[in-house]
Amino acid sequence: MARTSNKNIQAKLVLLGDMGTGKTSLVLRFVKGQFFDFQESTIGAAFFTQVLSLNEATIKFDIWDTAGQERYHSLAPMYYRGAAAAVVVYDITSMESFVRARKWVQELQRQGNPNLIMFLAANKADLEEKRKVAIEDGEQYAKENGLFFLETSAKTAQNVNELFYEIAKKLVKASPSRPTGMKLHGRQQETRRGLLCCSG
Amino acid sequence: MYSTQSKRDLAIEFQSQIPILRPSIHARRANITVKFQDLYGFTVEGNVDDVNILNEVREKVRQQGRVWWALEASKGANWYLQPQISSISEGIALKSSLKFSAVANAITLKRLIRKGIPPVLRPKVWFSLSGAAKKKSTVPESYYYDLSKAVEGKVTPATKQIDHDLPRTFPGHPWLDTPEGHGALRRVLVGYSFRDSDVGYCQGLNYVAALLLLVMKTEEEAFWMLAVLLENVLVNDCYTNNLSGCHVEQRVFKDLLAQKCPRIAAHLEELEFDVSLVATEWFLCLFSKSLPSETTLRVWDVLFYEGAKVLFHVALAIFKMKEDALLLTHQVGDVINILQATTHHLFDPEELLTVAFDKIGSMTTTTISKQRKKQEPAVMAELDQRLRRLNSLKMEDK
Repeated sequence: MARTSNKNIQAKLVLLGDMGTGKTSLVLRFVKGQFFDFQESTIGAAFFTQVLSLNEATIKFDIWDTAGQERYHSLAPMYYRGAAAAVVVYDITSMESFVRARKWVQELQRQGNPNLIMFLAANKADLEEKRKVAIEDGEQYAKENGLFFLETSAKTAQNVNELFYEIAKKLVKASPSRPTGMKLHGRQQETRRGLLCCSG
Repeated sequence: MYSTQSKRDLAIEFQSQIPILRPSIHARRANITVKFQDLYGFTVEGNVDDVNILNEVREKVRQQGRVWWALEASKGANWYLQPQISSISEGIALKSSLKFSAVANAITLKRLIRKGIPPVLRPKVWFSLSGAAKKKSTVPESYYYDLSKAVEGKVTPATKQIDHDLPRTFPGHPWLDTPEGHGALRRVLVGYSFRDSDVGYCQGLNYVAALLLLVMKTEEEAFWMLAVLLENVLVNDCYTNNLSGCHVEQRVFKDLLAQKCPRIAAHLEELEFDVSLVATEWFLCLFSKSLPSETTLRVWDVLFYEGAKVLFHVALAIFKMKEDALLLTHQVGDVINILQATTHHLFDPEELLTVAFDKIGSMTTTTISKQRKKQEPAVMAELDQRLRRLNSLKMEDK
C-alpha cells in the first residue's frame, strides 16, 4: 500500500469521565490490546502513546488518561490544556456517570479550544442487561452538542479501535495541509518563549 | 472479624524469608525479563540486573538488621523510643538539660533510619516514632473497634467509592487481593472516612492504606498510621475536597526544582512540561504506585521520622538522577518515559536516598513551611476562580 503522503501529526488526547467508567481500560485496549476486569485506579493521570497510520497521514497520539474521582477535577485543566481531542467517557450502567459526562462536556466547551474534537464514549456496552442510559439519550445529547458518539466496550473491544480511528480521521481533516512534523497541540506557538538555547 | 492478625502474618512471612532470588540459566543467558515476588509479595518484572540488585539490597537489609540488634544490645531494647529523640528531630530547641547521650542517640537514629529500618522492626519503630502510638493513647483503648462496629453496614458516597476501589488496589497481590485483604482495607478506609469527613475517601489513600496494612501487624495499627500521616505528617488538605494541599505542594515542588536542579527546570519549561503531570501521583500515593515496594518503604522510613519534606527530597532526586537523559529530551512523552522507567526500576533504595539527601542538599522544614505559606493564597484564588466558573456553568444549565 503506497502512502500518498507522509504527513506526521502529533496530537494530544485527553480522557475525562467519572471514576470507574473505564477510561484506562479503553486506552489499554487501544494501546496494548489488553483488558483486565479490575484495572488499578488511576491517580492524577497516566500517560500513553500510540501511533496510528492512515492513508493520508501518520498520527502519534499523546494520551492523558485522567483520574475520575470528583475531587481530582481541580487537576483536570493541566491535562486538557492544549489537547487536540477529548474523549468524555460514561458507563451505560450508571446514570450518575452520564450526568458527570455532560458536566465535562460543558467545561470543555467553555475552557478548551474551539477546534477541540470531542467524542462521547458510552462504555461498558457489553453490560446490556444492566443498562441505565439509553443509547438514544447519549446519541441525542451528542448531536445537540456537536460531539461524535460511539458505544464502546473495552472488555469486548467493541468500537475501541474505531473510536481512535475516527478521532485520527477528524484530526487529519482538521489539520491544514502542511508538510511533515507538525504538532497538533492546541497551544499557540507564539506563546513559547523565544529562547534559542536550552540553557543546558 | 477482628482476628485478622493471623492473616497479617503473611506480610511478616514475606519479610522473614527474604530468600535469595535465583533467575534461571535461560533468563541469565538471554537477558530476558523475569517475573518474581518481592519482599512484600508484589510481582515485579525486571531483568537479571534488577534481580542482582534486589539480592544485594536483601543482603544489606540483613546487615542493617545486625546493626540494629547490636545497638539494642548496647543501649537497651527500646533505646530509640525515648521521647526526647523524636522531639530533637522535629527541630525543637535543644534544652541544656538534655543529656548528651540523648543527642548522640538522636544523631545515630537519624542516620540509622536513612540507612533503613529492618522490615521486622518496621511496625514497632514506625508506630512509635511517627506519633501514631501517642495519638492512639489519647483515646479509649477500644476506639478502633468501636468505630468499626459503629460504621458497619453504613452506606455513604465514600463507602461506595471504597468498595469500587477495593479490587482495584494492587490487583493480583497474594494477600491484598483476597476477601481477607479487601475486608481489612475496607475497614481501615471506611473507618477513616468517618473519622474525618472532610477527607472522607480520596483515591490514592487506597494504595497508601494497603501498603500500611502489609507493613503493620494489625489493621488497627495501620489505621493509626493512616491517621497520623494525614493529620500530622503531611500538610493539611492534601486529600480533602479540592486537593488544595496537594496543589500547594506541587507549586512548592516546582520552585524547589528550579532552585535545586535549575538546568532541568529550564529545559522542562522549554518543553512546556509541567512537573505536576508526574509528581501529583508521587505525592498523593507517597510513591507507592511508582517505586518498588522496598524502595517505597525506605522512603516511608524517613518520611515518618523526618516529615513531609522527605517527599520533596525524593522527588527531586528522581529528576536529578536522570539529569543528563532529561536534558536530551525533545518531547513531553520522552520525559515521562524516562521518569517512569527510572522509578519502576529503582530497586536500590540506597542509590535514591543518597541522591535525595547528599546531592540535593538540606532543606529545613521551616523554609519549606515558608514556601507553602507563600503559595497558599495563589492556590486558593485559582481554585476559587475555577469554582465560580463551574457554578456559572450550572446556572446556564438551568
